[in-house]
Amino acid sequence: MISLDRLSVRRGGRTIIDDLSLSLSAGDIVGVVGKNGCGKSTLLSCIAGILPPHSGRITIDGASIWGPRRQRARARRSLGYVPEAADPPGFLLGGELWALCAASRGAPPPSPALRDSLGLDELRPIPLDRMSLGQRRRACLGAALLGPPALLVLDEPDNGLDAKRLDALLALLLSHASDGGACILASHDASLLDQLGARIHALPDRA
Amino acid sequence: MADTQGGSSPSPTTPFLTSHVRWADVWTRAVIWPAWRRASAIWIGCAIVAAVVFGPTGMQPSDLTSLALHHAGVGAALGLTWLLVYAPTARLIVRADAAAYLRSLPGPRLAPLLIGGGAFLVLQLPWLVLWTLGDGLRGLAVFALTQLALLALARFRPPPSRARFPTWDHPASALRSIHLRALRRRAGDALVRGAGLAVLAGAAAGLILRNNGLSGPSAASTGAAIIAVVLVPACAGVLLVILGAHRQTAWLAATLGISPATRATALIFAIAVVQLAASSLALLAAALIAEPSPRTFALLSLVTLGCALGASLGCARALLARPDSPTIAARAVTGAAVTAAAAVLCLSLFGAPGVLAFLAASLLALSTVRP
Repeated sequence: MISLDRLSVRRGGRTIIDDLSLSLSAGDIVGVVGKNGCGKSTLLSCIAGILPPHSGRITIDGASIWGPRRQRARARRSLGYVPEAADPPGFLLGGELWALCAASRGAPPPSPALRDSLGLDELRPIPLDRMSLGQRRRACLGAALLGPPALLVLDEPDNGLDAKRLDALLALLLSHASDGGACILASHDASLLDQLGARIHALPDRA
Repeated sequence: MADTQGGSSPSPTTPFLTSHVRWADVWTRAVIWPAWRRASAIWIGCAIVAAVVFGPTGMQPSDLTSLALHHAGVGAALGLTWLLVYAPTARLIVRADAAAYLRSLPGPRLAPLLIGGGAFLVLQLPWLVLWTLGDGLRGLAVFALTQLALLALARFRPPPSRARFPTWDHPASALRSIHLRALRRRAGDALVRGAGLAVLAGAAAGLILRNNGLSGPSAASTGAAIIAVVLVPACAGVLLVILGAHRQTAWLAATLGISPATRATALIFAIAVVQLAASSLALLAAALIAEPSPRTFALLSLVTLGCALGASLGCARALLARPDSPTIAARAVTGAAVTAAAAVLCLSLFGAPGVLAFLAASLLALSTVRP
């Protein structure tokens, strides 16, 4: 369903990801682990369509993330991304971020179950730049899960979450996988990856 | 008991004056310098308009002030201009939000009041000079009256608006709407100042048309050219806020599959809204002052709004060429100035039909950029 084929990513003249191949089927959860600076966030932002690869292909259901225009749009509408910094435009309200994502994916607004588990109702009228890191991450997770998309790309999604929301995140990701979705996430929390039953992909240290 | 700290402890007898001077210095750097930076843009705008109004037409300050006192339209346009242009600076001084932490410390209460009050008046030098040179003591009274209005404006805090949640059905409309929201939430002061400068642009154009008895196509091309030039400082600050929204939504748009062309269209749309709104304000002010015939006003509107559309395309070109450049602020201002110069050139070469040439040139310039 999702495949990374001989992917190489360079930044500032340095090869960060070298000849990486990986595939995810429906229901798969892959945990990307490695030391600081080994390229976890770079890999995820490349899969999310932000950082172009030097070479290789990333496809979702046959549509290439970096392919021709139509394929590119189709592939990207099938993924939900939460960046490490969780930094969407600060002037937007939580509700406006979800409305933008819903309009782009042709998805309905957040379901009552999603709103309840991530506590989205309280975030709806708050500008993103007035939210704490944990609140911003919840808002971004809400946006990423709208649809829901076939692939979730999450960069340290547990950062800043309290125990209650961490449990909710676990339940949401397991439910996403059991419904046939796939997820690739970077995390330093081995117990989170263990509880998710994630397949571990360790990136080599390039320091 | 002997002082065991010796010379390392702060002296209990720090001179009263020194501490007050230090406090005043910190207060000035926190509040007055930012206000001065904002006011300096107004001074530059005033210098441009003064060169236009008092230069070629040979008008004297007294001509303008007596016209303002005897002609309701001119008076309203002139007064409104100053209130809108100076209100953002006045707010910085009166509210002194930047010194919220300083206020929480035990410090002198009188010094900030004196410094703030002095700066509040001194930073209005162009307005003060115009009225005292133009109308002497009566001018001073007018100046004092505007201070009351300015104080009220500066202290006014609009009630928080209730957030309404959008239901966008297409990413293009969502992005356009998001750019406008950025303007409303991030460019409040720049919009108020821009509105003031727009009225000033219209007032300058109206005065030139009125004093030179211009009408028809020549009035349209002259008025539109003046408005295009004076609107440059009005729109420059707003452009950067629009660009900020454009850059901040970049990763979201990339990951959501929104095409670069859709993003560029949203940026052009937001710039066009600002340019058209500013030009409409300027047109109203020009009409109030020049009292043109319906035909002349229709022609002036057509040419001015056409120039506004062309300027939107030109400014968008300047922003889209290198949106991530570290010198983007300078590029935005230069782009706006070059676009205005191109409008003036087209209008002076071809007269009122020059607006079509300007639109074509702007479109051509935009087509050379790959978003």
